[in-house]
Amino acid sequence: MRKKKIASMMVLLLLAVALGSLWAQPKTTLTVLWFNDANESDVFMATMADYQQDHPNVTIDMQVIPFKDYENKLRLMIAGGNPPDVARLASAHVPLFANSLEPLSGKPVFDELAKGYFASSLALGQDDNGRVMVMPTEATANGMIVNKTYFKNAGIDVDKLSQTWTWDQWVDAMKKVLKANPKAKYGITVDFSTHRFSTFLYEAGGRFLSSDGKSMNFNTPETLDALKFFKMLHDEALAPKSVWMGSENPQELFQSGLVACHVGGSWLINAYSRNIKDFEWGVVRMPSRKINSSVPGGKFVGTFKNSPNKKEALDLIAVFSDKAHNEQYCRDTFNLSARKDANITYASRSKDFAVFTEDLNLTPAYTADDWKSDVVAKLNSYAREQIVEGLLGKQTMEQTAANIQAKGNSYFK
Amino acid sequence: MNKFLKYTLLLIVSFVFLFPILWVLLSSFKPQSELFTYPLTILPHRPTLENYVNAFASGDFITYYKNSLFVSVVATLITITINVMAGYALSKFWFRGRDLIFYVMVGTLMIPLQAIMIPIFILLKNLGLLNSLWGIIIPPAATPTGVFLARQYLQTIPDSFIEAARIDGAGEFKIFTMIIVPLAKPIIATIAIFSFMWRWNDFLWPFIVVSANKKMTLQLALANFVGQFQINWGNLLAMTVVTMIPMIIVFLALQKYFVKGLTAGGVKA
Amino acid sequence: MKSRQRSHGTFEQTRAPLLFLAPNLIIFSLFIILPAIMGLRMSFFDWSILDGSKYIGFKNFRDILADSMFWLTLKNTLIYVVAVVPLLSISALALALPLAGEGKGMGVFRAIYYVPTMLSMIIVGIAWRWLLGYDLGIINYAIRLAGGKAVSWLTDGTMANISLIFVTVWTRVGYFMMMFIGGLQAIPKTYYEAAEMDGAGRFTRLRRITIPLLKPIILVVVVLSTIEAFKAYELIFVMTQGGPGTSTKFLVQYIYQAAFEEDRMGYGAAMSVILLVIIGIFTAIQFGARREEYTNE
Repeated sequence: MRKKKIASMMVLLLLAVALGSLWAQPKTTLTVLWFNDANESDVFMATMADYQQDHPNVTIDMQVIPFKDYENKLRLMIAGGNPPDVARLASAHVPLFANSLEPLSGKPVFDELAKGYFASSLALGQDDNGRVMVMPTEATANGMIVNKTYFKNAGIDVDKLSQTWTWDQWVDAMKKVLKANPKAKYGITVDFSTHRFSTFLYEAGGRFLSSDGKSMNFNTPETLDALKFFKMLHDEALAPKSVWMGSENPQELFQSGLVACHVGGSWLINAYSRNIKDFEWGVVRMPSRKINSSVPGGKFVGTFKNSPNKKEALDLIAVFSDKAHNEQYCRDTFNLSARKDANITYASRSKDFAVFTEDLNLTPAYTADDWKSDVVAKLNSYAREQIVEGLLGKQTMEQTAANIQAKGNSYFK
Repeated sequence: MNKFLKYTLLLIVSFVFLFPILWVLLSSFKPQSELFTYPLTILPHRPTLENYVNAFASGDFITYYKNSLFVSVVATLITITINVMAGYALSKFWFRGRDLIFYVMVGTLMIPLQAIMIPIFILLKNLGLLNSLWGIIIPPAATPTGVFLARQYLQTIPDSFIEAARIDGAGEFKIFTMIIVPLAKPIIATIAIFSFMWRWNDFLWPFIVVSANKKMTLQLALANFVGQFQINWGNLLAMTVVTMIPMIIVFLALQKYFVKGLTAGGVKA
Repeated sequence: MKSRQRSHGTFEQTRAPLLFLAPNLIIFSLFIILPAIMGLRMSFFDWSILDGSKYIGFKNFRDILADSMFWLTLKNTLIYVVAVVPLLSISALALALPLAGEGKGMGVFRAIYYVPTMLSMIIVGIAWRWLLGYDLGIINYAIRLAGGKAVSWLTDGTMANISLIFVTVWTRVGYFMMMFIGGLQAIPKTYYEAAEMDGAGRFTRLRRITIPLLKPIILVVVVLSTIEAFKAYELIFVMTQGGPGTSTKFLVQYIYQAAFEEDRMGYGAAMSVILLVIIGIFTAIQFGARREEYTNE
């Protein structure tokens, strides 16, 4: 009797297990770690709506982390052996996490996809060996935004002038603009960041690293030219001291009409079209010094070597990186695409985006080599501090260049 | 007498304290395009609720609010209980290692939490406390500040109260609940205010513990308004105003215990 | 000395304190002490989160002593601490004294002074930048309207330090005020009544009754504000980011920069250990000073 009972229970149990495994579809939850400037996480989800429809067994768990601490969170998760499946990365994050990322180069799907992207954008997502580690989602470019109303008041056709202007011509124009507009106190404001300063560096013909990428090449006459020009802007009150030596926000200064030009980047178009109502503004070409240059930047997505659902993650990244998804995402987040074949009509301001692209196309490739290097990433705050010490007159710009060079070299082992 | 002078001074100082906050409040009703204009304005030209509407629409703020409330209330209850007990043990008893324990506790206040974030994260992961509200509540509950405050305050209670109760045959636990706790009301209220406010405003512990959207607290959601290139000041200001309301309520509710404590202490001494 | 007599208690009395202490101690040891020990270990390593680690003995400590940025940020930190701690403690006490009583409207005043403590640091940063900004700040705006010359509140090294100290007091004074108010409740009213009958003036009462009886709480405030000032980071980050240049760059900011930005966790941990020792010395002096006074009495 008893034996029978046990046997029948065993059969029942086996049956239950078999049925269970038949019914239970393999459900996968993909964790996606993200940070937001505006509503990029929502746009990402909307863009991937069709993907989710095609993959009912995959659930996307979107986790949004504040940008300021994003890097630390990712470090914690990786160091704790708990990386997300997919993560959004800013270009400065890529060299920091390159060792933990799953390489995309060598996977046929991605090698094929990569062909459709601008080399300068891909470069920022590569590791030291030139392998693509992450796919670009959007590209950014540094450049100049001007208060067109102010130029008009001074009788200057800035659209025409800016086609070919040099920094010396810009200084002349600025003197007229400031005279004609009593409300404008300054000619130019530059974001308080080494990356934005580097626009001046590249235009003067300088750079951070040597061409083989194995040492610093910062302490050069070209760098000094850029540093001294930058100091002149502040000494002659063409640029407000309060941004680099205080804590005023350049975006607010430009919005309030106190400054005529803002050296920022393509991400400003979105904010300015929402927030500026009192004057006309637009993107113009950067004035040239030795050369014309912007600085490339961007955001990326990648997966990690230890991600629990790597296969699904790779699949998702591939879909997100195709033409249609990329265009949709860039259009709805108001960003430049990193795809060569992207053809995007933005809700407004398409012409301004085109100017950034023009500048970006003239930009030398080595700018990306600098910014994909972990040495430059680590040097960021120190360089900024040293430039300010020079602006304050606490040390000469020669000293600043030498200090940055020495600190950078200390990271090369 | 110089009551007038006293109130005048208090009012002037109040102005210094409130002026920046007034700006936060008024600016939260300004449309984004009006936030940074020159010449400067204090009052909004076109007052609007759009910042509040946008902020609430940008995430599941009801959930974040609930999470913050749960964490702050439960954590405060736990903290008060274990801190006052510990403060009592460290002030009214003598045992080997007592002062060492106390100094080590105060000593750990000196460690910048960020410096030990990684070991903490690994520990929480191994204990399965990641992405759980209990993971936010328990680890930082044993606050050295609370123990320190309770110990210092309880030192001022005369030993004779406790000894008298012991002679009457009261058990140690009864002495604690019947004599110490009522006498410690003002400091309990102080610790409660500190703990609630700290938990409500804390960023670092929730940041370490939580990444899942459903477990986010208000402060994590607030910090998400600050991006790499953009800060959504409108949403940020509006949500700041909204998050301050519970803190002000808790503060006003708890502070009546100060006065109660005063009379209790006064009568018995 | 008095407390020693109590060691001859019953079994229950020697066990009781351990039971009272246990919950706090267990949580504390597990989540703070244990990670702290792991952090201490880190300071003897060339520790990188992403590239692994290597034991290097005391090299981090030797390098720190030769690091000019360490000494600069230490100097800046010390100046800040020495200015903030007395200012903060005295103004907290000055606010607590009139507000500890039951007078009309005192609850409202207490709330007003406590409100800045409730703001997140990022909001404190924007609110004060709006006040102190050189170009967009409202104070300079008023000065210019009145025909004066704008002040470099945050754009000049010395002024930036002064502004920072002032805003620190603004954000934190409410917190320490509450501690004092809590402590003032413990002083029995009868003491004051007796003193008043003896004809003691307000100042005498403050000096002879309030201050001596408040000593345990004064110690808390001084010790905690010292520790806080040494660890100050967030406020500085939102107000000056350590600038202009390195004028307001403090040790903790340098620790974060080294540990996280440059991924030299070991170096950062070693600096944390040194910071811990320095704060330890300061607080030991504060505890010691108090004990001496006791024996003098």
